[in-house]
Amino acid sequence: MIEVKQLVKRYGPVTALDQISFEAKSGEIVGLLGANGAGKTTTMRILTGFMPPTEGTARIAGFDVMTDSMEVRRRVGYLPERVPVYLDMTVEGYVKFWANLRGVKHPKDSVTRVLQRFDLLDRRYKLVRSLSKGLRQRLGLAQALVHDPPVIILDEPTIGIDAEQVIEVRNIVRSLREQHTVLFSSHILTEVEQVCDRVVILHQGRVIASGTTDILSKQIQPGTHLYVALQGKNKGEIRALLEKLPGVTNVREHEAGFILSSAPNIDLRAAVTDLIATQRLSLMEMRPMETTLEDIFLNLVGKGKR
Amino acid sequence: MRAIGFIVRRELGQYFASPLAYVIAAAFLILTGIQFNNDLALSITKRPVNPALIPDLLAQMLILLAPLLTMRLLAEESREGTIELLLTAPISDTSIVIGKFLGAWIYYTFLLLLTLPYQFILVNISSPDISHTFAAYLGIWLYGGATLAVGLMFSAMTENQIVAAFLSMITLMTLYLGESVGQIVANTDLAAFIFNLVLRGHYAPSFAVGVVRAEDIIYFVGMMTIMLFIAIRLLESRRWR
Repeated sequence: MIEVKQLVKRYGPVTALDQISFEAKSGEIVGLLGANGAGKTTTMRILTGFMPPTEGTARIAGFDVMTDSMEVRRRVGYLPERVPVYLDMTVEGYVKFWANLRGVKHPKDSVTRVLQRFDLLDRRYKLVRSLSKGLRQRLGLAQALVHDPPVIILDEPTIGIDAEQVIEVRNIVRSLREQHTVLFSSHILTEVEQVCDRVVILHQGRVIASGTTDILSKQIQPGTHLYVALQGKNKGEIRALLEKLPGVTNVREHEAGFILSSAPNIDLRAAVTDLIATQRLSLMEMRPMETTLEDIFLNLVGKGKR
Repeated sequence: MRAIGFIVRRELGQYFASPLAYVIAAAFLILTGIQFNNDLALSITKRPVNPALIPDLLAQMLILLAPLLTMRLLAEESREGTIELLLTAPISDTSIVIGKFLGAWIYYTFLLLLTLPYQFILVNISSPDISHTFAAYLGIWLYGGATLAVGLMFSAMTENQIVAAFLSMITLMTLYLGESVGQIVANTDLAAFIFNLVLRGHYAPSFAVGVVRAEDIIYFVGMMTIMLFIAIRLLESRRWR
């Protein structure tokens, strides 16, 4: 449904996208993961026809975004990162405006359908100005879906809204699977893991990894990490004891304690508890460490260099 | 074509939903009302009423009014990010610009219609030359369209409304006062040429005195076409960058 081949985008001397290729099949949710400035928004803007690529091709439903722009635009629902709203319009008027511009056959029915879906029907006559950020996000999703497009492009739809609303938006995105192909960008790893079938990881305008979330998480999270802070002996002795624990592959200092790494699927907690009991140490803190996006980038970028 | 209609409707909705539009309409009526009253008082003692009074006044007011009415049109869409949705909707850039322009022009027409009661009063208390009034209104309607097109063009150029308004005011002022350059030029051909370039040159000697000339209509329509063409290109240029 979405086919991106060797896409390059340069802004003067700056290369924002460097030979990006990926694809999304019909009914799939594909996540674009990357830090700010990685090229997620640029990729999405090219796919929606907002800006042209410098080189390469991008096709949506078989139509080239450059040569068949109108056909592409008819088939895409887009929610930019900053939800674009007309503050002076009513909720219903806003969605209807976009339905009309996109040539929806029965705008009234479509508008009612999406407003109902996003739980905005009872606020249909309210001014957009009076909506909270979370509700505006829902309104943005409603306009992106009002023409029932086969492809939906959502640029960081969970940014800047509270935790409850984030869960809600994630659920909405998940519910789009099967009927729509969704391209979803985020800089939060766990979010992409929860929502998407496949992930494309961008870093400095390049695809540094792509694949299904399972494969990627194995690829990028080799092993598990546990943070422990112990007292009762000096740091050197504690470190030596930790290094000797069965299953531990690496020990490094972090904050007031150490991060223990082990092979995947090995739980070190029992071994650490035993150590505390036998050596009469005091446990100050113990928690599993989540691999952060930075770690993954460092890991992947490091691999790329080697 | 359908898209133009939806954009016009949206623009009119915004004009009539915003307090600024009513403030502009009120200020406009107060100013024209005072002038009308003065003219009426003078007509009793000194001279007959001027049927082109309101259009003449508008010829000057539009230098300020047109930028105020148009500064928001595209600049605000850029600043609020709604331009991203407009440019990714299946509609042409031309329909966006034409729709915005027609919205502004229709609102301006509404302002112009607000002054019709003055003409009814005149018809009732004296015997003005109706065809003179009609020509002046037609002229100022086209003149207004041309100034709005200039404003829209500058609104397409920047996302800062103040900058857009300032640039269009300067341009309109130059187009209005340009003839004074002609007045100090010794060469009469050059002076006539300059007079033909400026807005007043196609309003004051013709429409304002009740004469409808094809060349003036072509001048204003041509100006609208050129300005709208540039605005469309400016909007399109976002896709080249």
